[in-house]
This record gives sequence, structure tokens and C-alpha cells, in this order.
Amino acid sequence: MLRKLLASQQTGLALIILALGAVLTFFAGTHDDRVTGVAVNNFLNSHTLIQTATDASFFAVMAVGATIVIISGGIDLSVGSIYALAGVTMAMVLRSSGRGGSAGSVLVGLVVCVGVGFLCGLLNGLLVVFLRVHPFIITLGTMWILRGIAFVSSKAESILVPEALTTAAKASLGLGASLYPVPMLTMLAVAAIGAVYLTQTVMGRHVFAFGGNPEASRFSGLRLDRIQISVYVISGLCAGLAAFMGASFYGSASCADATGYELYVIASAVVGGASLSGGKGSAISAMLGAVLIVLIRQSIRTLRFDQNYEWIIVGCAIIIAVVLDQGSAQLNARRLARAAGKQS
Amino acid sequence: MTAVGALRFAGVSKTFPGVRALHDVSFAVASGSVHALCGENGAGKSTLGKILAGIYAPDAGQVEVFGETVRFESPREALAKGIGMVHQELSFCENLSVAENLCLGGLPARGVFIDRGATRVRAKEMLEAIDAPIEVEARVGALPLGQRQMVQIAAAVGAGARVIVFDEPTSSLSQREAERLYLLIDRLRAKGVTSIYVSHRMDEIFRLCDAVTVLRDGRHVATQALAASSEAGLIQMMIGRAIETVDVAPHPASKAEEVLRVSGLSSPGKFSDVSFALRPGDVLGLAGLVGAGRSEIAQALFGLDPAAVGEVYVAGQRVDIRAPRQAMALGLGLVPEDRKRQGLVLDMSAQSNTTLPVLERLSRATFIRKGEERALTASFFDRLRVRTPGFGAKAAGLSGGNQQKLVLAKWLAARAKILILDEPTRGVDVGAKAEIHALIDQLARDGNAILLISSELPELLRLSSRILVVRGGRLAGEVARESATQDGLLRLMAGLAA
Repeated sequence: MLRKLLASQQTGLALIILALGAVLTFFAGTHDDRVTGVAVNNFLNSHTLIQTATDASFFAVMAVGATIVIISGGIDLSVGSIYALAGVTMAMVLRSSGRGGSAGSVLVGLVVCVGVGFLCGLLNGLLVVFLRVHPFIITLGTMWILRGIAFVSSKAESILVPEALTTAAKASLGLGASLYPVPMLTMLAVAAIGAVYLTQTVMGRHVFAFGGNPEASRFSGLRLDRIQISVYVISGLCAGLAAFMGASFYGSASCADATGYELYVIASAVVGGASLSGGKGSAISAMLGAVLIVLIRQSIRTLRFDQNYEWIIVGCAIIIAVVLDQGSAQLNARRLARAAGKQS
Repeated sequence: MTAVGALRFAGVSKTFPGVRALHDVSFAVASGSVHALCGENGAGKSTLGKILAGIYAPDAGQVEVFGETVRFESPREALAKGIGMVHQELSFCENLSVAENLCLGGLPARGVFIDRGATRVRAKEMLEAIDAPIEVEARVGALPLGQRQMVQIAAAVGAGARVIVFDEPTSSLSQREAERLYLLIDRLRAKGVTSIYVSHRMDEIFRLCDAVTVLRDGRHVATQALAASSEAGLIQMMIGRAIETVDVAPHPASKAEEVLRVSGLSSPGKFSDVSFALRPGDVLGLAGLVGAGRSEIAQALFGLDPAAVGEVYVAGQRVDIRAPRQAMALGLGLVPEDRKRQGLVLDMSAQSNTTLPVLERLSRATFIRKGEERALTASFFDRLRVRTPGFGAKAAGLSGGNQQKLVLAKWLAARAKILILDEPTRGVDVGAKAEIHALIDQLARDGNAILLISSELPELLRLSSRILVVRGGRLAGEVARESATQDGLLRLMAGLAA
């Protein structure tokens, strides 16, 4: 059991994240707390840790959806645009609806964001299924269309969202002032739900089967259209939820939000071991992939490297992570071969 | 032997992830002979062929080619030493023409441009060298399998191959195409080319080969002249024990109520006006050449052909099956001809493959009940004697026989009563084949109705109660088991006068 846990891909990623964390803690140095005067590590303190998790959470949530799409053998490039459209739509609805109760506007905001995400995902799914065009092309198209709609409808303004939403997204939940755990907890919850969906439900198993071999899935009587549409809907829902969190947390929404997020999201899923040819991936790993990418960005700041190199470093890290993952899979196979050799 | 040795293997071993494929194999092959490599699936015969052709490198041991010790790192190096291979899965750029494929290694060029004329001429020469009249302008993807194989042989011979490895070359050929291949191999022998013929089909080994090497579990069992071998003896060496030839007792045509009636089923360009009926206990054989429309009929019945029209009745009720899901609900199951492409999700576990069509039944509110899933898998693996390292083992790693049993288990788990079996023993080893035959017989005796499609006439003759012959998309005749002979069926299949 322990060996199985150690061999699993999640554990590998988690260990890398812990190791990077330890390195950062070691090299970060300290500063004196302004109030108590006690020395505090520049990385290993609750504020920085939660801030890092918060940075990761917005696209980690989308990465869970993206990994499900990727397992089905598809791809969704439109998540960043869905995020922007959902955020902008919510902000406009709340602005025009005037002063609602605080709980009321949080609820309305959530429903609008998730609803827009649902509709956009449904659009992607229907286009992929009925036009029989590769999802890369479809979602490349909707990526521009949806962001364009957000641009036109918001008139390119940044729109403020009601205080109540920000209060909810920044609730400290008793952790103390200026600590905001809500996005992090949402990320953990979404990853957990995604993991249950993929490993415990009929639909999740069907997604793996469809991504692994669509032909055999058809011969087994699976409803392929339904599977394909549902993965894009899930991806859209995740983007809508991320938009709700993001817009609430930062207090405004604009059509330029989450520009380029689709690539971070796909990178997270791939660093998390999802195979672009389908049939392979995990929700927890996708979340860990997102955390790792953010942590690498964070380390540039913590270690005081030149920030101008951020993109180069992140790009290298993505390639290295995937190569390492492939290497460990091969090592594993070779270990099995040796075991079999000894048996005979 | 006085003949010059073409090949010598000495202590060759090879290990793959999870299996030891070859262990200390040593034998020699005479020059200019056709040498059979036989054994059950997983015995290592294909691996040995691939080592010779430079696809794999051995972990230990030596290979000598015409007295020279060689070690190939790639098929290109092997070909440079005169060894070519005809693959089980033919590897071509299907979007290119025959001529382009034949010259792919060194396309004639003028500057940076392809010299199309020279490409055509060279390709024609290569095909003529083996007397294979194939249009060099045709796209390879559009050629029937038999012709693609000819192209591959032409490529090997044209590149100067003195030894050609054939890896189960007839496994997806029609009878007529196979005959053409045999004649070609005879001609190659007359030219002094040595052939290594990997196969487990006894009839063709005896038809073609001069000598035979038997492998079992990666070890060398025997190398002997074919003249000194008997079929029973070879089989016994292959499986390591004498097999009780499962002689299925004659199976009377059933008198029960029809469970399936097909009337005037047609699909444009595939088959037309197909009619037959199936009763519980029936094993209805469906014979025909490859391309005659057998698999197409099966897939149309299973709701996989949107263009199909005609009347289908299940248990007396007129039905219109438009999706596999509907077919399943009516009690139909289809074991497709290509298990790797259509039957299994190779990257998923043996268990997940088995339960794939019935997950909904095993779940409560969309959550899979893992205990029940496991129990169901266990019961069918036990009944079909599926051997896996564990239920979680990937289907990709199982032998052909066990993979085929998985596909069967899948439809038995789905409680199919009308089973359409399309080439259920293709690429399956001798032992598993006997088990599958016994299972088919038992299923019929238990009151299931079975439509059995097979290219192996002995299989049809052994198992079927009646045999339908399809030719060119139409029914060419129906033969009762008692009056069916291999020769008579072949004539019907090919459209020759009886």
C-alpha cells in the first residue's frame, strides 16, 4: 500500500512541491515582524503560503476542468475567455440590479458566473459534436468570439463588483486579519470533486474510455456525444466558478481578465501528467501542477531573480516536468521488467 | 545439413517490461529455405523475427547472417545486411502513393524536387521483380491488405534483401490473397531468397515451409525438417502437452422460436438484401472472403451503420436499431473483428474493460459500486479462464487469447443472448482457441443464439449448425452442416461452379 502510494504520480508531484518549498524556505531569508519584532521566514509564513495558493487557485480550478477535457482526448482553449465573459456578465448584472441584499448579490453573482460558464461549455460541446471539427479549432474560435462578446458588452470598461462579494471571497474564516483562505479551499474542494468524478462515477469512467479508444467505446454502446458535450460543460463550469472567485476577490471584472490563462491551465494539466492523446490524467495532479507552476513563479520573487526571466523559467520548467514524468514512467516499466525477469 | 547457413542464432535472450520474451534461443536456418517459426502467442516468435529485422536488439546472445556476426540498431541496418521484414501491422505512409512509399528511403530527386518519372520507373521495376502487378500511382491507403503486403515485399526485395521475415502475413488476408502470397514465397525461394515465416497456422506451415523451429515460453523447443514433422507433434511441442482435440459434437439446427429475423437488410455500397433467421441454440456460420461484407452486416445489426435499411425482428418484434445501446438493450452483443481497435480500451484495466458496457447497472446514483464490479469481473474471469496478473492489469499487456476473452466477457456480462462473434479466434493461440471453441459451443447449448463470422473454414465447420456464404455483399447460399465441405464452401465464396 505504501509502495503504491509512493509510486503514484500525485505523490511525485507533491514531493517536488515540498522540496521546492524547502529550498525556498532555506534561501528566502527573514524579516522582522512589524508588530512583534520576531524574525519571520520570507517564504515559510502563513501570509505568503496562502497568497501562493490563492494565485494558483484561479487557474487550478480551471485546470481540473481542462484535465477532464484532455482525458477525453479533447482540448479547451476558450477557458480564459469564458472566465472573462462570466466575470463581466456578473458585474454588469449586479450593477444594473442595483442594491440587493449582500447574501442575495453573492448568490446572484455565483449563479450568473456558473450559468455563463455552463452555457459557453455547452456551446463548445455542441459545436464539437455536431460540426465534427477538431476541438482545438472550435475552442480556438470560441476563445476569440467569447472574449469579443465580453469586450463589446462591457465596452472595455473595468466594472466594479459589490463589496459583499469581496467580503465573502476574502473572508478570513477565523484565521486572522489579511489571511484569505477561501480561494484555496475552493481549489481543494474542486480538485476533490473532480477526483471523485473521475475515479468513482460511471461518467468519469466513460470519459477515460472515450479518450482511450473512441471506437471501442462506440462498440461498447456508450453515448459518445453526451460524454463529449459533458466534458466541455464541466470545463465551462470550472471557468465560471474561477471567474466568480477572481472577480469577487479582486473587486472588479474586465474583458481583459485571464488573458492567456488557457495556456497556464493546459500547462497545469500536462505538468499533472495528463496525456494530450487522451485516456490519462488526474484531477488532484492537475491542481498540483497549477500549484507547482505558481510556486516556480513565486520562487523567482522570493529568491530575488530578475523578474524579466519569469516566462523563460516557467517555459523550461514545463518541459522539464513533462520529460521527468515520461522518464519516471519508463523507469517504472523497466523495474517491472526486471521483476518479471527474476520470476522466470 | 550441407546447405550454407543463412542465419544462426546463439543464446539469444530478450526481456520486455513484465515479460521475458526470449531465453537462450539457439538454432540455424539453411540458405534458400522457407523456415517456419511457430509457437503460441507470447512464445516469442514475433520477437525473434523483430530482432532479426533490427526492430529490437537482443539483451544477450549472437545473431549471424551468412557467417557474419551482426548487431542491428535499426531496421535500416538490417536491410543493409540483406534482411527485410513484412510486418503484421503494415507500416506505410497511407497518404502517399505506392511509388512514393517504395522509394521513400531514397526518393529520386532533381535538386530539391522529387523526380516523379524516375520514382515511378523504379517502383515499377521493384514490383515487376516479384511479379506483382500493382498500379504504382495508387494511394497505399486505398489498396486491399494483400496488395499492401506485396508492396512491402517488393520494397524489401528491391532493397536487396536476401532474407525476408514474414510476421503472420496471412492473419488478415483472404483465402485468395493468401494463395497469391504462397506462390510469391515459392518464387522467392526459387530465386534463392531465404524466408522466415512466423505463423501458428498449421495448414500454411505444411504448405510452404522446408523446416520449422518451435518456441515455447521464449525457449527453443525444436528445429526440424518439416518432412519429419506431424501436425499433432508440432502442436504438442507448441503447447507442451498433448491436447484433447475438442471435437464438438454435431449440433442440431434448433427448432425453437426465432429470436432474430433479418429480412432484406441492405447498406449502399456494402451489402444488399441479406435475410436470415436465428433461433436459440443456433450457431449460424457466416463465411465469405475478406471484403465480402461479413463484418459490415454484423455492424449494421449492432446499430453501427446509419445507412442500413431493412427489416429486423427481435423475438418477433420489429425493431429499428440505430445505436449499439439499443442493440444491447435488445440482448445483442458484438465481439468485433479488430479487438485492439474496436473491442478494448487498451490503456484501461482488464476489469474496466469487462464492465464498460454495464457500468450503469453496477452503479447507484452514478457512483460505481466497486465491490460489485469486482465480483462480476471475478465471476466471468473464472468462467472464461481469463488469466491476468491482476484485475487492474492493463488490457494492452495481456496475450491475444486473454484479450479476446475479455471482449467475450464484456458481452456475457451485458447478458447478451444474441451474440455476433466476428473472427473470435483471430490471432489467438492454440490453447485459448480450443477454450473459446468450447465456450461458443456451451453458449449455444445454454440457449443463446450465435452468429459466427470466421475466415477459418475448419472453425466454421466445427462449430456451426448452418453456414451462410456471403459473396460480394449478397448471400450466395446456405449450407447445412452435414453437407458442408471446405471445398464446397470455398467454391461458393469465390463464385466458382460447384
